[in-house]
Amino acid sequence: MKPDLTVFLAGIKMKNPVMTASGTYGFGDAYTDFYALGELGALVVKGVTLEPRRGNPPPRLAETPAGLLNSIGLENPGVEAVLKHYLPGLSQAGTPVIVNIAGNSIDDYVRVAERLHASPVVKALEVNISCPNVKCGGLAFGSEPGMASQVIGAVKRHSRLPVIAKLSPNVTDIGEIALAVEEAGADAISLINTLVGMKIDIKKRRPALANLVGGLSGPAVRPVAVRMVYEVSQKVKVPLIGLGGIITAEDALEFIMAGASAVAVGTGNFINPCCCREIIAGLTAYCETNKIANITALTGAAWRYDDGSC
Amino acid sequence: MKYHVREVRVVDNVKTGGDIYLLTLAAPAIAAAALPGQFIHLRCGEGLDPLLRRPFSIYGVDRKNSLVQTWYQVVGKGTDLLRKAKAGKTLDVIGPLGKGFFTDIAGRNAGLVGGGMGIAPLMFLGGELAQNNRVHSFFGVRSKAQLPPGLSFPTPLVATEDGSAGRRGLVTDVLEQELQRQKMDILYACGPRAMLQQVVKLAQKYDIPLQVSLESAMACGVGACLGCACEKSGADGESWLKACQDGPVFWAAEVKWE
Repeated sequence: MKPDLTVFLAGIKMKNPVMTASGTYGFGDAYTDFYALGELGALVVKGVTLEPRRGNPPPRLAETPAGLLNSIGLENPGVEAVLKHYLPGLSQAGTPVIVNIAGNSIDDYVRVAERLHASPVVKALEVNISCPNVKCGGLAFGSEPGMASQVIGAVKRHSRLPVIAKLSPNVTDIGEIALAVEEAGADAISLINTLVGMKIDIKKRRPALANLVGGLSGPAVRPVAVRMVYEVSQKVKVPLIGLGGIITAEDALEFIMAGASAVAVGTGNFINPCCCREIIAGLTAYCETNKIANITALTGAAWRYDDGSC
Repeated sequence: MKYHVREVRVVDNVKTGGDIYLLTLAAPAIAAAALPGQFIHLRCGEGLDPLLRRPFSIYGVDRKNSLVQTWYQVVGKGTDLLRKAKAGKTLDVIGPLGKGFFTDIAGRNAGLVGGGMGIAPLMFLGGELAQNNRVHSFFGVRSKAQLPPGLSFPTPLVATEDGSAGRRGLVTDVLEQELQRQKMDILYACGPRAMLQQVVKLAQKYDIPLQVSLESAMACGVGACLGCACEKSGADGESWLKACQDGPVFWAAEVKWE
């Protein structure tokens, strides 16, 4: 019998636990030449702000060992353009569409969330309180439990949509922030956004990125992300979306066994444009081989070896 | 499916001079679809370091034998791995990607201006244009060993930094001399930014339409990551040109040069 990969998360039914990570998949238009969006568990589109954002100057990318530093800076056309030009085309996507939102103030987040009610396409909001590449907002909201709680609480009060809080790993105690956003009403938590990092161009004797620092993603960050999912999943009741350096089904299984209900693929799409599709196939194969009827049975499978020392 | 994905066989990978190599791939789908100015996005190795694909201009296409060529210089980890790929090896390639050169011309004087490895896309372009146009090419390199092999259009005017071939000096000086002698109907350029800026000035001075192919670091190659942003000309400060998707070829007037 074919294993059941269905997962329920933040009130959304997903045919499999594989999602795209915001900012790595455009508005769903970038990879349709490789496979259909309908194969995905869910589509998370690029971070949207109230006003258009130009983003940071180039160079915006720097490669590091098994990693990628980026400083895109939330470049996006703004919520009105997204509503008008991008979301209508996703009505036939065949997969739940989740919009990532960001802002400079709590009011910004609330207004973007409210505007997105206008689209019947949007099934949930992922609230980005963790972008390391913008001067104000973003990470500032996600590095302190009180602020994180205020943003998530405000969006939750003004939105009829399920709210996913996307957290930053650039904090001392991830568990504390996770508990705060859960308390504030988050329906799910995405872990992790990028790690703040830096690379120096030794030929030019200057930082490789024009923004000086950027967010590190890719396999280099995976162990950090797995640890955070493992820790947080045992502290909160809401489901987790695990992300950070997932390229293969084996990587995805690590996150699921650490306690994630779903996974998101980001930088992996750049390496292998068919990454998500291959991960879905790999998860199916793993379940078949190991006689797992429903993939949800694997969530937190690694917990039982915890003697409490973590 | 629009793109050929993965599993392309190396037919040949030979040094053409110095640290520059010509890679020939058996890639029927790419060969059938490729246009001059487009690129392929290639994984140089199988491991996670280097992590990203590398974009390479298409240097030549043999449609009859389904071959695609790129011409690359060994500059880092990725290209050093690629250099070691032997005939028979399978490489992971997506393409053809990007927007190519404007080639809808006939009976014209077309000028190709290439600097260093920027000559690569002009080789494919020159071969295509030469079928219906008079191709005049201007290549600037450090030294004779950096000149490309296998011309399929009339011999270029060459400028070298060391004087080992053609004239010692800048390719843009050679270009200007020729522009004083005869009228070009269109110019195409690819190379270092300083060279492109000079070609832009010459194109304005002699009132010739100019297309440029821009080089940029890329991650996705398909318009998703917004990593390859290039500055747009004019007052529109809200967006950038994406080298991978809007380009890599642009009309010079679309790009901000200062």
